[in-house]
Amino acid sequence: MNNNQKETKSNPKKGKTLPAEKSIKDAVLNIFKKALADNIVDAVLIPAKVPDTDAYSWILLQDESLFDIADPLPPVMNVQGGRALSSFSKNGELDLKIAALMRPCEVRAAVELLKLHQVDLDNVTLVSIDCPGAMPLRDYMNDPKKINDSFKKISEQWEISESLRPACQNCHRFSLMDGTGSDLHIGLLGENKKVTLISNSSTGRDVMDKLGFEPKDSLDKWKATKEKLVKEKSKKRESFLKEWQEKIKKTDGFFNELNKCINCHNCMNACPICYCQQCYFDSQTINFKPETYLQKSKEKGALRFPLNTLLFHVGRMSHMVLSCVACGACEDACPVSVPVGRLFSMVGDQTQKEFDYIPGLNREDALPLQDFKKDEFCEVETPNECEEKVTEEAK
Amino acid sequence: MAKAIKISKNVQEGLFDFLKSLLEKEKISGVFTLKKMDDNGAVSYSLITSPDEFKNAVPLYPFMPVNAGKALSSFTLLGKTEEPIVAVLRPCELRAFVELVKRAQGDIENFLIISPTCGGVLSLNLMGDKNQDKMVSQYWISVKNAEISPDTRETCQFCENFLPLNADITVGTLGNKNLDKEFTLFLNSPKGEEFAKEASGSSVSEEIETKEINELKKKREELREKYFKETGKEGEGLKSLINTFASCLGCHGCSHVCPICYCTLCEFDSKTHEYQAASLSSDLKKKGGLKVPTGNLLFHIGRMTHMAVSCVSCGMCSDVCPVNIPVATVFSKVGSSLQEEFKYFPGKDIEEPAPQGTYKEDEFMKIGEQ
Amino acid sequence: MNDKYTPNIIGFLCNWCSYTGADLAGTSRMKIPPSLKTIRVMCSGRIDPLFVLKAFIKGADGVMMMGCHPGDCHYQKGNYNTRRRFVMLNSIFDILGLEKKRIGLWWVSASEATRFAQVTNEYNKEMEKLGPNPTAKEIFL
Repeated sequence: MNNNQKETKSNPKKGKTLPAEKSIKDAVLNIFKKALADNIVDAVLIPAKVPDTDAYSWILLQDESLFDIADPLPPVMNVQGGRALSSFSKNGELDLKIAALMRPCEVRAAVELLKLHQVDLDNVTLVSIDCPGAMPLRDYMNDPKKINDSFKKISEQWEISESLRPACQNCHRFSLMDGTGSDLHIGLLGENKKVTLISNSSTGRDVMDKLGFEPKDSLDKWKATKEKLVKEKSKKRESFLKEWQEKIKKTDGFFNELNKCINCHNCMNACPICYCQQCYFDSQTINFKPETYLQKSKEKGALRFPLNTLLFHVGRMSHMVLSCVACGACEDACPVSVPVGRLFSMVGDQTQKEFDYIPGLNREDALPLQDFKKDEFCEVETPNECEEKVTEEAK
Repeated sequence: MAKAIKISKNVQEGLFDFLKSLLEKEKISGVFTLKKMDDNGAVSYSLITSPDEFKNAVPLYPFMPVNAGKALSSFTLLGKTEEPIVAVLRPCELRAFVELVKRAQGDIENFLIISPTCGGVLSLNLMGDKNQDKMVSQYWISVKNAEISPDTRETCQFCENFLPLNADITVGTLGNKNLDKEFTLFLNSPKGEEFAKEASGSSVSEEIETKEINELKKKREELREKYFKETGKEGEGLKSLINTFASCLGCHGCSHVCPICYCTLCEFDSKTHEYQAASLSSDLKKKGGLKVPTGNLLFHIGRMTHMAVSCVSCGMCSDVCPVNIPVATVFSKVGSSLQEEFKYFPGKDIEEPAPQGTYKEDEFMKIGEQ
Repeated sequence: MNDKYTPNIIGFLCNWCSYTGADLAGTSRMKIPPSLKTIRVMCSGRIDPLFVLKAFIKGADGVMMMGCHPGDCHYQKGNYNTRRRFVMLNSIFDILGLEKKRIGLWWVSASEATRFAQVTNEYNKEMEKLGPNPTAKEIFL
């Protein structure tokens, strides 16, 4: 995990504003076109529309003509960007310089994967972009034109629309955060017909210098608009969390959300954090003799097949929820519309707060379960050391 | 003409009562069938051993949350069940179970298998839909009239193998306009006859393949030809295939729910197919760009080489696909072609080995000598 | 510089028959297409259909499987399996509309040097006519 990231002040004062006369899309793509043409990078990882189809897919492009099919903010999140990046960079080191443009939650996933040794960021310039959200994958596949039109309107207005994916409706981390996650950020908020390039690390600043973009332009408008929207979305997130906590508190509240689950494990396979080649819950460890199944059935009168629905979900939570970036890829992949993204996001929120940990925010933050302090969480211990300390101090 | 029992009850009620009495009278230790999970339409397969829990059983409910053949395989993977179990399976699920038993992935002994003449199952994304009850009612009307039900899976709509093979008891449903008042249990084996003694009905001799069923078969065959023609335009092979699978996420959900794909660690999930970063430079130089994650078409065609010859066209793959790729239709088309080539019918003969595991010395003699 | 298109052909040759036959063709100074890339396997039964499929998808213009004549397999039964696997691959290519001419199976024994030369030269010519495999440049595979 040798990343030569030197932390730069992540509260940048200035950026580089670029004109977007024709379209935001073109302005953003031009940055990458220049980076490729000037040999600052050897390839660009960016979403693209597969010709003659409505499908979106990640491509690693080296040929400039492929920018014609590239789209920085497609209406859907097809494959989670962190997963795409990991798919070609986990086996061996990259001998190419790559610029990767991803949505903030995808960047956060990539940072978590770095901590899990599943991605090589040494030669990658991670570029995040202000994200208006994405539309539910299945809705898009059912009616691409309608959803595309809908997305255009929503993204232009930065609307918190109910047509967006639930994960996106409840997302307050859609822009640059105070952390060492991405190297560069593309600001879209605040300015009309302009995009703002902001450096967030020494690597990012390096690239900006090579591009000839000196950060001299004010970020005030972008910051102000961003803060306002963050406040609005944080409120929305709070109300979502409250609503779902109430839902789950009811008797069998959590179980009932899993009634439709068919144990296909699509959620796990779409999740960028779930990288295990052979998941425990797919292994032979949980195979029993027929007598055992019958015995289990007789204990309660019936035995659901496939087994372990609850165990799978709560078990998966215990494995990855501390790194859950609430991207919602799981919910997009579920064939029976179990609100798995919302459930995991809610549990993630609570558990991450417990450790004062925000996944993907800082590359140097150790994963909570790979770290410990000698004096912490005394409240869960018996005898409770905290009490002793208090009585000690009282004496 | 086949030995049968006519029961003067609504088919769902009648079958329910028959199974319940088998359980209560301890003729069997358990019933493997669909069970209601809640009042919002969620159903799941369940091994039910207590008559009390059986009250939520809904055998023949038109959903397939998991291919029951796959579920029974996991039940009997480590050996046969010592106690008799009755399992209500759809024809394709039964064929899948037989294919798995051939591959030593399960044991069919001590099961009483009941299977309906099948009108299909509704698409999984409709489970929990606010109009589910209405759709289920419509479904039963289609069954009564032996018509193709529009809300069912694509594979169900063009399925021509909807009469169960190797079931001990066949439940006659398709084409019976009086299904609300009476239905027939066809007794296909001595075991079936023995257990059917518990059913309160009158002995009859009836034909399973009625005129209505044959007409439905014809309608489905026509639809099948239409779907197969649309899937992958002839002569445009590669491009068409790329377009069909363009939005594939590589989640491998299709393979995970497929009953025939039983490998604990699929080759395509293993290190063998992981991309090596060292190849990046040369791949980019050759093509100018690379779709990631890689190996999309290799996975799908590769999976065909592994299992398409045993594809029972249950349609789980299409239902579970997050991006609506018609996996089942493509695989059914390829499967059909392979099955014709090898004169092999998956799930028909439990003694017949799968084509990959055998050969004849004097077959395909012209191959290789050109 | 010869600008003529040279097809990139991969050949999986079984050690005991076809590879030996190829060797004999070489020592007998027979003309073999220079662009044929041979990979030796102990038995044609070792050829996993995925080898052929992967080669095709990675852009090979032609893929040849070669083994002993049925009945002469060094390991008795290996090539019977090969034959079935090829029939399956061929059927899949056919029904999906992929260029099935780009894969083939030939039985070539250890003494059939002439046959080896003839078969490979003919196939090379056919691949020249067919042109480059479109998968070589295809990004969205």
